[in-house]
Amino acid sequence: MTLVLEAIVLGILTGGVYALMASGLTLIFGVMRIINVGHGALVVLGAYLSFAVWRALHIDPFLTLVITMPVMFVLGIVLQVVFIRPLKTDREGLSVLVTYAIALGIEGLLGFFFTSNYVQLRVWYADSSFPIGSFRITYVYLYGFLLCLAILAAIFLMLYRTTFGASIRATMLNRTAAQLIGIDVDRVSAIAFGIGMATAAAGGVVFGITNAFNPGSHYDLISRLLTIIVLGGLGSLRGAIIAALVMLVSEDITSVLISPVWASFVFFVILVLVLLVRPQGLYGVRVRDRL
Amino acid sequence: MRSLPRLRLIQGAGVVAVFAVAIAVPALAPDPATTNIAVFTMMYIGLATAWNIMGGYTGYISLGHAGFFGFGAYALGLLLARFGVAGGYPPFLLVPVAGLLTAVLALAIGWFALRTRAATFVIVTIAFMFMLQLLAENLVGITGGGGGLSFPIPNWSGDFFNTPYYYVMLLLATVGLGASWLIRHSKFGLGLLAIRDDEDKALAVGVPTRAFKLTAFVISATLVGMIGGVYGYYVTYIYPQFVVDPLIGISMVLMVFLGGLGTLSGPVLGALILEPAQLWLAYNFGASRLYLVFYAAVFLGVILLLPRGIVPSALDLLERWRNRTGPPASRPATPATPAKAVAP
Amino acid sequence: MRRPITAAMAGLGLALVACGGSGGTATSSPGAPITIGVSVSLSGDFSGDGKALEQGYDLWAQDINKNGGLLGHQVTMKYVDDASSTQQVVTNYQNLITVDKVQLVFGPFSSLLTIPASTVVARYGYAFPEPAGGGPSVFNRGLTNLFFVQPAAVEDNLVSYTKFLIGLPADQRPASVAYATQDDPFTQPQVDKAKSLLEAAGVKTAYYKVYPAETTDFTPIALQVASSNADAVILGTQLPDALAFVQTFIQQHYNPKSVIETTGPDQGSQFSGPLAANTEGIMVPAGWTANATAYGNGTFVSEFIAKYGGTAADISGDSAEAYSVGQVTAQAAANAGSIDNAKLIAAMHSGTFQTIQGPMSFDSTGKPQGGVGVYIEQWQSGQAIFVYPPSVAAAKPEYPKNNWQ
Repeated sequence: MTLVLEAIVLGILTGGVYALMASGLTLIFGVMRIINVGHGALVVLGAYLSFAVWRALHIDPFLTLVITMPVMFVLGIVLQVVFIRPLKTDREGLSVLVTYAIALGIEGLLGFFFTSNYVQLRVWYADSSFPIGSFRITYVYLYGFLLCLAILAAIFLMLYRTTFGASIRATMLNRTAAQLIGIDVDRVSAIAFGIGMATAAAGGVVFGITNAFNPGSHYDLISRLLTIIVLGGLGSLRGAIIAALVMLVSEDITSVLISPVWASFVFFVILVLVLLVRPQGLYGVRVRDRL
Repeated sequence: MRSLPRLRLIQGAGVVAVFAVAIAVPALAPDPATTNIAVFTMMYIGLATAWNIMGGYTGYISLGHAGFFGFGAYALGLLLARFGVAGGYPPFLLVPVAGLLTAVLALAIGWFALRTRAATFVIVTIAFMFMLQLLAENLVGITGGGGGLSFPIPNWSGDFFNTPYYYVMLLLATVGLGASWLIRHSKFGLGLLAIRDDEDKALAVGVPTRAFKLTAFVISATLVGMIGGVYGYYVTYIYPQFVVDPLIGISMVLMVFLGGLGTLSGPVLGALILEPAQLWLAYNFGASRLYLVFYAAVFLGVILLLPRGIVPSALDLLERWRNRTGPPASRPATPATPAKAVAP
Repeated sequence: MRRPITAAMAGLGLALVACGGSGGTATSSPGAPITIGVSVSLSGDFSGDGKALEQGYDLWAQDINKNGGLLGHQVTMKYVDDASSTQQVVTNYQNLITVDKVQLVFGPFSSLLTIPASTVVARYGYAFPEPAGGGPSVFNRGLTNLFFVQPAAVEDNLVSYTKFLIGLPADQRPASVAYATQDDPFTQPQVDKAKSLLEAAGVKTAYYKVYPAETTDFTPIALQVASSNADAVILGTQLPDALAFVQTFIQQHYNPKSVIETTGPDQGSQFSGPLAANTEGIMVPAGWTANATAYGNGTFVSEFIAKYGGTAADISGDSAEAYSVGQVTAQAAANAGSIDNAKLIAAMHSGTFQTIQGPMSFDSTGKPQGGVGVYIEQWQSGQAIFVYPPSVAAAKPEYPKNNWQ
């Protein structure tokens, strides 16, 4: 029983990171109606940027975000303007191809600059932990979780308390209508992509502290992130957060009670069952528009 | 459209010529390095064509077809092991059986997956693919799990080895193209295109959308499964992650988009360009680690310049050149119009 | 084989090549240069190991060329990337053999790529000495051209570790062991074999779990291992999980008396970088260690450092295995007096070969035979050194291992 409790606590802590990464992805989908299959590669890029800054400046890896988040934000705007904006017809389909090509390009460049050896970001307190009952919680996991919470809170504040947030939400609801009431949807899209990239930078740093990674790490990441945002409902931030927690907690519990080899299988079963009952996902709005 | 009969004739002659070349490949370029690339290219022509029957005609994008590919490979490999078939020509005879088993699986998966639409459908197909991969890995008693599955090895010489596989792949690709052509010229095909344009309207005018979608899905998956079986026999050893490989699923989609979604020749063209390019780039520039970047750059260039794929864009140019008088802007901008899809 | 004076700097090891390789130092006239083709994974899942293989092969080629070449033929290595994919590895070996017309081929990384590659290579009658494909399914395909250049077949990798545990005085011997392994053809067979041997010797199994190779979050499994409180831990890992398990143990203040991981601790700085001082006491089965006195090893290590920088601890076992493939080929060529593939295959089936992993010979399926077997290496004061069996040990095993710092 304690093992199950441990699994739940752990699932929530690691789920926070996935929630953050998935929220960027779902935001991008919501605003632009594109499936960014390059998001995993962007997270890995964020981890490598932090790695480079950390290696050069010897500061706490969490602090590298001060540099990497703005850099990734700007890079996101550039990517959006150069590669995504020109897609006029069939955005959903073509965006899969374009972002996949971006992912391959990033993987190739990272392999060239950093080699394909595994690296990990290291903090001096990586191994310190504090006890809760029979097991111990690691500070890095906790800090990572708190960081993700803080950024998610900031995104929510931005979306629901600022005018710019309102224009993002309007664009998500109905692109054409938003355009009609005078919102510059191209600008909103570019900035939303930048925000998505900045969250990828933050997700990347936490991922890079808690996992060893190499340029090829993005394949595993993206398949999990995509399933998370679909379970949550495409374009729903709340859904992405809940779904990330459902995924990690269900996997950890399965791994304790049954076997790790069935952990993701159980998650996929949950996903398929939910989608059969609610094809729009947990929090999605029923969309009737076609692909 | 004025010169339709003449166009038909040219088209017919073109098709015959292309087939003649395809049949002659092993005679024209018998060295194994070329025939090997020919086997994989023909494999992807078949895969892209099969995928297009679902993705191109109905607009339902499946990124999980690698699941059927791997299932077909496992089905054939296990059948061969079960009946103790030795290497040589007989294993090819069991390929249709592997296809039949894939069809049954596709019927079940399609029944579930096709309750969803658009992006949700994309992800559901991915989920099913990973479930199949996990089953191949976890049902150790049946599949051999992480130990992989070996196929019997024919004792053909290195110079000849690839040729039979090439012709079987060619046969499957031809079946796929034949099926595509028949579908396009049937009421069934019109129904599929109606679904792509507006599923709700199609339903309203009496198209049995569910049955139509499911049929297209099963036909597409069956072909992919058979091709997967031949692939497994060709590489002689399969392993869950290497045969239910998301990249194989994505590659066939990329080829269709590159060549032209919903066209007959588009998938063929896409596969003819991408697969040799990928094998060649990896072989020649892989060591520099930058080949992924080249590949990505070429890819991005094509999509941004020809967003609708090569065949529709080229036809557009041709059309524009023919009606030099007409304003090009008056042409419908969407690739979804049936008129486009009839393109060769 | 011509071994000019430069051999002096090679020390004992290379001197042994000169005399021990064969009496028939046949071709004294330098032949035409030859090319050896290898498909390595420079991108994709196995890219880390692919790079290490390339370094080992390159170093061997440099050495042999400095010493007059392979039977007088100067050697050029040709590498092509297989992107860790079956299709590409099949394509690559056909291209290497039929387009580039390389004279010899060496193996890629991992059983998964070695198996499809081996059938292609066999079709052309080429010898296929390979450093990294040792899973059971490699040997049961009726091929006679394949040679697995490691001290033991994969499933026997942990056997000497079980002997070490069983040989401990009764009051120190672990009462229970926790096992966790990837469901990979490389790791699981060895962990399963160790488990059955230890259970037969009366050591209780406190925990046993198999997890998928593509798992990204290992913490829940590591937590369960920790909460089993077993005296010893046997893990079937690759590098990322090898790190994750140890990190979780440290965080959970779980201090087993002994920890062994199948891969990871042998990856030099990729392993010690993230763990720093906490590598202390961790074991790994290894056919090779920088400190071993095996044949030519000193030279290999010093040249490796000279060429690629770093320290002895940075050298991956993969590089040493690749280097050994070259050594076996060179000695087989000397024995056969030829670099013709058919003759090389015959020679590889018959001789005993001196490598930096120790002496080895091959049975008819290419399984390594009769060598010393796999050793145990343990991290002590920032270096991985041989600690078992005592006959080759450079230090006493640290048991029970110290608590994490």
